Amino acid sequence: MADLMNTAERAEAIAGAAEVFPALLGPTSARDLLAWVAAELGDACALDRWFDHGTARTKALAPGLILHVVSGNTPHAALQSLTGGLLLGSRNLVKLPGTGLGAVDQFLARLPAELRARVEVSVELPAAWLAAADAVVVYGSEQTVAALRARVLPGKTFLGHGHKSSLGVIWHDPLFESCLGAARDASLFDQQGCLSPQVFYVREAQPGSARAYAEKLAAAMDQFSGTHPRGPLAIEEKAAIANLRAAYRFRAAGDLRVALWEGGAHLDWTVIYEEDAWFTASPLNRVVFVKPLPPDLAGAMGPAVDYVGAVGLWPCTEELADRFAALGPSRFCPIGNMQDPSWTWHNGGVARLASLVKWVDFEPSSGLTV
Amino acid sequence: MAGMAAADLMEAEVLRRIGPDPAAEFDLFLPRLHSFQYTHNTAYRVFCRDAGCGETVTSWRQIPCLPQAAFKYADLRSFPAEETVKTFRTSGTTGEGYGQHHFRSLTIYEAAVRAGWRHASLPSGPFLVIAPHPEEAPFSSLSHMLATLAKKEDFIAPGGTIDLHRLRDLSGPVCLLGTALGFLQVIESLGTNRIVLPAGSTAMETGGYKGSGRAIARPRLYTLLGEKLGLAPEDMINEYGMTELSSQFYARGPRGLHYGPPWTRAVVVDPVTLEEVGEGETGILLIYDGANVGSVVGIRTQDLAVKRGDAFALLGRDPSALPRGCSRAADEWLTS
Repeated sequence: MADLMNTAERAEAIAGAAEVFPALLGPTSARDLLAWVAAELGDACALDRWFDHGTARTKALAPGLILHVVSGNTPHAALQSLTGGLLLGSRNLVKLPGTGLGAVDQFLARLPAELRARVEVSVELPAAWLAAADAVVVYGSEQTVAALRARVLPGKTFLGHGHKSSLGVIWHDPLFESCLGAARDASLFDQQGCLSPQVFYVREAQPGSARAYAEKLAAAMDQFSGTHPRGPLAIEEKAAIANLRAAYRFRAAGDLRVALWEGGAHLDWTVIYEEDAWFTASPLNRVVFVKPLPPDLAGAMGPAVDYVGAVGLWPCTEELADRFAALGPSRFCPIGNMQDPSWTWHNGGVARLASLVKWVDFEPSSGLTV
Repeated sequence: MAGMAAADLMEAEVLRRIGPDPAAEFDLFLPRLHSFQYTHNTAYRVFCRDAGCGETVTSWRQIPCLPQAAFKYADLRSFPAEETVKTFRTSGTTGEGYGQHHFRSLTIYEAAVRAGWRHASLPSGPFLVIAPHPEEAPFSSLSHMLATLAKKEDFIAPGGTIDLHRLRDLSGPVCLLGTALGFLQVIESLGTNRIVLPAGSTAMETGGYKGSGRAIARPRLYTLLGEKLGLAPEDMINEYGMTELSSQFYARGPRGLHYGPPWTRAVVVDPVTLEEVGEGETGILLIYDGANVGSVVGIRTQDLAVKRGDAFALLGRDPSALPRGCSRAADEWLTS
């Protein structure tokens, strides 16, 4: 198929479609997208023309056909993955969850016909799609990723993004300046994203610092909820939060090592302080734990240490990032910006564009005769 | 000792009421059990006061239900600790510890198991058990319950290895008792073979798949058991029980409703308001168990159910719920 649009033109078109999703996709100008290409492929025009590569010249080749499988029903992963595929100039098959995703339809409707024609969407996964795809990108549970990995032929590119748990570390914040940001991080998208913190660990400069932080965070959660109410809850989500609250309410009544702040009669938000540092997964939908930072945080994570997405830091310094390297996240960032990854973020620890392309090199004649 | 005398009297009364022919009037008895526990169980009393409930209630519906998880964190004995004869433990997930249910006497527990079994019109034997014997699992209430129904030699899975020979060459109908996971293992170890059990045989399966990383829906399990063992759909029974209770609820067939014995009450409530939902609506399940003499009478379970008259259709913790995003939530740790 003749490639009528070059990378810059595709970036321009995608940016136009993405501009209606500022909260979901963050800043997405053509410039941002081209910077992403340049960061990962070494040159913003790497897909369009030869450029210097050591003593040779090289060019990136996008996969002809990318299959994106998105099993959760929030649109982040679908839009981000599809954006990458379109930017590369590939044709894209997108398997959406059974309910479909309105945001994806909206995004597609805003694309120029030439790009729109490069996307096919389905809520089923036709076997032919798996066979035809040159690269498969999967966002889903561990089981979903493993099941699809097993069905993809060895020679094909496979990128699996399993579910992740994120957390925050408050190293030094005597004035509780990070609380509003922490509340935003834990409230946006109702904690459904892999960048949503579930636990904040607070270094205790003095005994009681973590508990005091929890109280301030509760106030901040309430404030954020006032301007950004959470979305509707399914009955099982309601039950999970209500049951957790009931259990912690019981504990808090007889145990000073536990405290509970409950927002609103409608499960708006919940902050739980717990002295036990063991990582407790949240039932999500704005339920967040605050715990004292233990000496061995990676140890306290237990099995969750294998699933760390992002670690929010306050203050956010490279020294602290190095200190918590054992958590193995793919992103350290300031608390308050956990939901705002840049396009260049190595999601899952991989360069998302670079790991999809292949390279062809051109070695010019040396001028020597044999 | 006055406390001991009160406990003896209460136990004797419960035993009489849940006997072979359960007496009625549990509507009036449950509030009395609450008063007894309020007086003798400190943690329960604190919980009731926080919930705005005193020693006296006029209806069992006013009794506050203790969260199931409370058994992990509090001593919920309505008797002095030194009088404990048995403690059952919940399995618990890593890092969370386990819940404990203490007993001053197992007589009531065992009487409730037998009377509940009869009340559900379940077979009186012979039994074969696909679960560990209490000697292998001394803290398991399920093992104790199964050993109350069946003899030691009926346990055919010592050390976790199922002796399939015991399922062959049976001279008459048998009642298989076991965990759902155990039955799944039977199905798998049969491979392409099948064993047709004598006509009139039954199977009672219980418990989830916790920690095994697997789960199959009840209708699917019953279909497989039908294919592999020749059991009819209505001859397969699910038991709903838990360490924190003394009584069991039974459902017949792949989609049967769960019914409890007369000394229990199951109420499906809105998780937020705790008001009973309407017929056919979904909520969380509260269980009142008149045989829970030494602990607490009302338990707020973590399970979802649909109200169907006085019975309920169990949805469980709904492990099939689709995660909305890519956040690894609490539920996902339970199934992996």
